[in-house]
Amino acid sequence: MGRSTPSPLRDRALSWMEAGDLSHLFTEQVLKEDWKYTPMDLLRQRWDYVPFEYGQPFGVAGDSLSDPRESLDERNPAIQSFPEPLSPWEALLAGAAHQRHFMLADGEPIGVALRNPGAFAAQLFTAIVPESAVGEVWFSLEGEGLSLVRWHLHVQRGGRLRFYYPSPRDSGESYRYLILTAYVEEDATIETYELHAATAWMRSEMRIQLGGQRASAHLHGATQVTEGAFADTAIRVEHRAPHTESNQLFKSLVEAGGRRAFQGRIFVSRAAQKTNAYQSHKALLTAPSAVSYSRPQLEIFADDVRCTHGVTTGFLQGDMLFYLQARGIPEEKARSMLHRAFLAEVVEKVPHAALRTWAEEYFTLPKV
Amino acid sequence: MLTIRDLHASVERRPILKGLNLTVNLGEVHAIMGPNGAGKSTLAAILTGRDGYEVTQGEILYEGRNLLDMSPEERSHAGIFLAFQYPVEIPGVSMVQFLRAALNAHRAAKGLEPLDTAELMALLREKAALLKLDASFLTRAVNEGFSGGERKRAEIFQMAVLNPKLVVMDETDSGLDIDALRIVADAVNTLRSPERSFIIITHYHRILQYIQPDVVHILMDGRIVRSGGADLALELEKSGYESLLNPA
Ligand SMILES: Nc1ncnc2c1ncn2[C@@H]1O[C@H](COP(=O)(O)OP(=O)(O)O)[C@@H](O)[C@H]1O
Ligand SMILES: [Mg+2]
Repeated sequence: MGRSTPSPLRDRALSWMEAGDLSHLFTEQVLKEDWKYTPMDLLRQRWDYVPFEYGQPFGVAGDSLSDPRESLDERNPAIQSFPEPLSPWEALLAGAAHQRHFMLADGEPIGVALRNPGAFAAQLFTAIVPESAVGEVWFSLEGEGLSLVRWHLHVQRGGRLRFYYPSPRDSGESYRYLILTAYVEEDATIETYELHAATAWMRSEMRIQLGGQRASAHLHGATQVTEGAFADTAIRVEHRAPHTESNQLFKSLVEAGGRRAFQGRIFVSRAAQKTNAYQSHKALLTAPSAVSYSRPQLEIFADDVRCTHGVTTGFLQGDMLFYLQARGIPEEKARSMLHRAFLAEVVEKVPHAALRTWAEEYFTLPKV
Repeated sequence: MLTIRDLHASVERRPILKGLNLTVNLGEVHAIMGPNGAGKSTLAAILTGRDGYEVTQGEILYEGRNLLDMSPEERSHAGIFLAFQYPVEIPGVSMVQFLRAALNAHRAAKGLEPLDTAELMALLREKAALLKLDASFLTRAVNEGFSGGERKRAEIFQMAVLNPKLVVMDETDSGLDIDALRIVADAVNTLRSPERSFIIITHYHRILQYIQPDVVHILMDGRIVRSGGADLALELEKSGYESLLNPA
């Protein structure tokens, strides 16, 4: 976390926290462009700071999760190489006391379940997957209030990490901000699966660096933006070595008055020849008052690369709906089947059968 | 069972059907033939309650009820089935999920309990065999990646599962090779009964060699211009629409 280097941003962030005044967090954004569509007014209320409570690791992962209490020493070089904070939020996390660092053991998934008691809670985690190991992290966040969590993931040479972020349905007063940064070494892979029903406000930021040859990242997200809610995803995948690969597959179901923003940036450095990068965000609007902004951005400095992206936003196709109705399926039921089916393309990619089943149920729940 | 009287209908304010009359009795098989653009699919759309078609005049009675007052799903529950000319793909919904929902909606409308999985699967397998469809297609997404012929067979398969009283087949024969056409025709002949009526919309005479119609109608420019027995189709095949209507 760059403790050795002075960070004015961090010092400022800490002084705000000490003074109990977080309002600057909402006004001072370093990467302003990535916040273009993010409504901060929803967050602008008085938040007291409290630590997270720890809950039961996410249900469907069950007993297979090992106890994540083992922490890495923060003098570990991998932690020392933690990237510098880019925003006041990150600075706050880097300086705050609530930090935990895990060295994953090969084939032993860990689970972390946080519960916000209804105030402002913040926590930083690091997880390192050692060389050639297979690691799995299950992360879930519950409770009301404003939750700020950062995961920094480091996948060492030849390793593979699966990061699951399924969110239990909440009551609607939750504001969730996840920052996920990852460094992926040579021949290593990261996969992320975010399954989320946003009921108030959520933002997921992902910054993935593919630092070694043949490193790859596969990012998945199925998001339901419930009535009047806001959900925001800002991704930056950096290809910094040759033969690296990335895929972003995101689908969003946006209900009446809901707003969805998706900004996906693919950066390919001059060194990253033979890069293969793909990005897709498809949004299905269930009412005329639903909105989705999608902004793919490519910054490519190498010449021998393949980058493709696809963005679609639209309503349910009338002919699909009619086909179901013509077979006797009532309109409401037909709509919910088609909504679920829309998200299924992402859900089907989840490599964990019990989580897939959970997600199918989760996304078919009737609107409240 | 079905009476259409002086039906006028428009699409985007353009009149398509212009005074169509048709009566179908229980157990009868009617063929409706006509050139492209005559309004055949428009008639099918209006019978099933599709949006975007405005009935400007006339009425349709189905089993004594005003059909035009019923929603598409109610018409299905009442026994009307359309085999679509262009069946759509429904990615993410398997044929099993789809037909489970459809069958259970039909059962609910009759006050019956939903089928359990074993009963459902037994029924689906039986009907799939009738259409010579591989059982694996039950777990595939509806129509997704199906060939033209598979889609048409899948439509008739759905018909067999839902056991309707009035079947409208909209150019089910188009694009079928001779083997697929035989399979479809055999299935229709198997399902033909005094309790079920068919309206077979077609462009060609070919399917009527396998399915013997009771009545043949010629639909042109939004009206039924001639009706006759099975031999009318043959006559049409020989001489074409134009000469049939304007004999020299
Ligand atoms: N949904 C629609 N939108 C616009 N025009 C339509 C639509 N459906 C039918 N039409 C028009 O109505 C006329 C009759 O079409 P259709 O009923 O499909 O004929 P057929 O099935 O006999 O070939 C055509 O001119 C067609 O272009
Ligand atoms: Mg047609």
